[in-house]
Amino acid sequence: MSDAVRIRVAPTRARLAWPVSARLVALSILVLLSLVAAVRIGAVSMSLHTLFAAVAGRGDPAMVTIVRELRLPRAFQAALVGAALAVSGATFQALLRNPLAEPYILGVSSGAAAGAVFTVVTGLAVRMVWSLPIAAFAGAVLSMLLVFRIAFSVGRALDTRVLLLAGVVVSAFLVALIWLALAFADTDSVRSAIFWMMGSNANASWRSVSILVSCLVPAFVILLGLARPLNLLAIGESTAAYLGTSVERTKLVAFGTATLLTAAAVAMSGTIGFVGLVVPHAVRILWGSDNRSLLPCSALAGAAFLVAADTLARSIAGTNELPIGIVTALVGVPCFVWLLRRPTGAIA
Amino acid sequence: MFQRSVIARRVTSALGTCVCLASIACGADEARRPASSASAVEVRDDAGIDVRLDRPAQRIISLIPSATETLIALGATQQIVGRTRYDVAPEVAKIPSVGGGIDPSVEAIVGLRPDLVIAWANDKRQAIREKLVSLHVPVFVLRTEDTTDIFRGIANIGRLSGRDSAARATAAWMRASLDSIRASVAALPRRKMMYVEFPDPPMTAGPHTFIGQLVSLAGGNSVFSDNTSLWPTVSMEEIVRRDPDLLVVPVGEYTQNTLERFRQMSGWRDLRAVKHGNVVTVPADLVSRPSPSIVESARVLRDAIHPEAAR
Repeated sequence: MSDAVRIRVAPTRARLAWPVSARLVALSILVLLSLVAAVRIGAVSMSLHTLFAAVAGRGDPAMVTIVRELRLPRAFQAALVGAALAVSGATFQALLRNPLAEPYILGVSSGAAAGAVFTVVTGLAVRMVWSLPIAAFAGAVLSMLLVFRIAFSVGRALDTRVLLLAGVVVSAFLVALIWLALAFADTDSVRSAIFWMMGSNANASWRSVSILVSCLVPAFVILLGLARPLNLLAIGESTAAYLGTSVERTKLVAFGTATLLTAAAVAMSGTIGFVGLVVPHAVRILWGSDNRSLLPCSALAGAAFLVAADTLARSIAGTNELPIGIVTALVGVPCFVWLLRRPTGAIA
Repeated sequence: MFQRSVIARRVTSALGTCVCLASIACGADEARRPASSASAVEVRDDAGIDVRLDRPAQRIISLIPSATETLIALGATQQIVGRTRYDVAPEVAKIPSVGGGIDPSVEAIVGLRPDLVIAWANDKRQAIREKLVSLHVPVFVLRTEDTTDIFRGIANIGRLSGRDSAARATAAWMRASLDSIRASVAALPRRKMMYVEFPDPPMTAGPHTFIGQLVSLAGGNSVFSDNTSLWPTVSMEEIVRRDPDLLVVPVGEYTQNTLERFRQMSGWRDLRAVKHGNVVTVPADLVSRPSPSIVESARVLRDAIHPEAAR
């Protein structure tokens, strides 16, 4: 399955012949539009005039609070989480040479959930609100370390197939632990835990946004720097080694960075599915799998997609907020199927 | 079987009774000057946090249906500006909803400019409280497990909404009514029964929940009164071994035949109560709400457990 990652549904398919800069500009405009929509649309409707005044901090204090303390941080958090998941998904798909790879495949989400559920069940989250994201992050990192420990204990070099299996079994083990804890927990804890596991950006604040920025920027720089070695790895590990890539170092740095990035995103917003799997594929179908373009394009597309999904989730049913995972799948799957089935040469 | 029409009538009249009695009891002086005393109030909430208001709350958002009912019973309906989608009281049907109780739209809450939000203690993440407090919206958290909690909640809501005397009158009326219900079954033998909160997996109300206490007050002797969990999940084997004479089942609607369903469920169908048809339904909507309506719940439970004492 050495180049399964390119999903050669139609190997000769003509791709959008856009230069990279044009792709980035187009996607940036998309992100900007989705951010504007996210700030414009919400449970409380307001005129454009009120909205602009509120962004500037003038006018009705309640509206100022809604725009500056609720909508803006939430929109930014959705954008950052979307970007983080898409970039990390693209990296995992390249590293594992497996189209089913996604950010949660190495047990990150189960580890984060186990940490979060621990604070909920023990009541720690009630006493210290920030214990939950910290425990989720710690759980994600611990499960990652465990997965790598298992993978490294088999054979001399890091075998990605063993790594995948280790991720699956560690994940299954952690999920069992979660349900064990919930089986003995009171109904309130179970409900709170399930709410967390469904994922949401409702708790976004400027603090969570600044933490995400400080994780995303360095991680993105590191991964972009690895784009060329990742391209070579996608062809095959031995080929990459012949062509001068230090395979083991690249794999380790890329896996570690992508996992930490996912852990930060999950700690802030719970496990939001689908973005990390499908956004990189969509970008690949459109513009090919050169990671030098794929990584930044995925970041922007993931950001725009998740901001749009989050806006839909919190506005489509009035004041009743839908879990964002429902929206990402219900809207994302038809779009993705359409992209997959797009007749060859329709856009050339 | 319990008469359906009687239950339906009772449920709809339950709140009316509370409101009526409370407003009669609190008298005319409070009606003339509705909670406008300029004095600051400071009340410790059920999470142990002191909540201070410069004056009694005039724009209250209740994220708990039972707290909404309490506010209505205290005559503070005019002070409610927001509710959840789970509120059923007709008095608040026109008041905007802010979503669910533990997942409300914070934006909708802020948009209503509340001076007090009454929220669940049940959210183990405490995310909503943290968020609202950081936006300078006072949040009062309620935890309601037993009847003591209910009375404390009514007193606290009374102080926060500037309706102290109405709260005292309501509590006095509730105590008197509960006493008279207790007295009506004092001479009768206590029935060996089980309150079936949920049939599969079987769950009952523990003796330290308000429902467990009301069942006991209404002359019931729960076969699981030795289980000190709040909402114990019990094994079918243990139910069969303890073999209650009567099952009291809270149900949402009356279209299904509850007894028929129990006759088809393994384990349940072997109970003496089910064989003899001693399965009584009570409106889940009413009995699950820890508000002044517990008086009506106690009466409904008493009529279910001791129909001979019903008037």
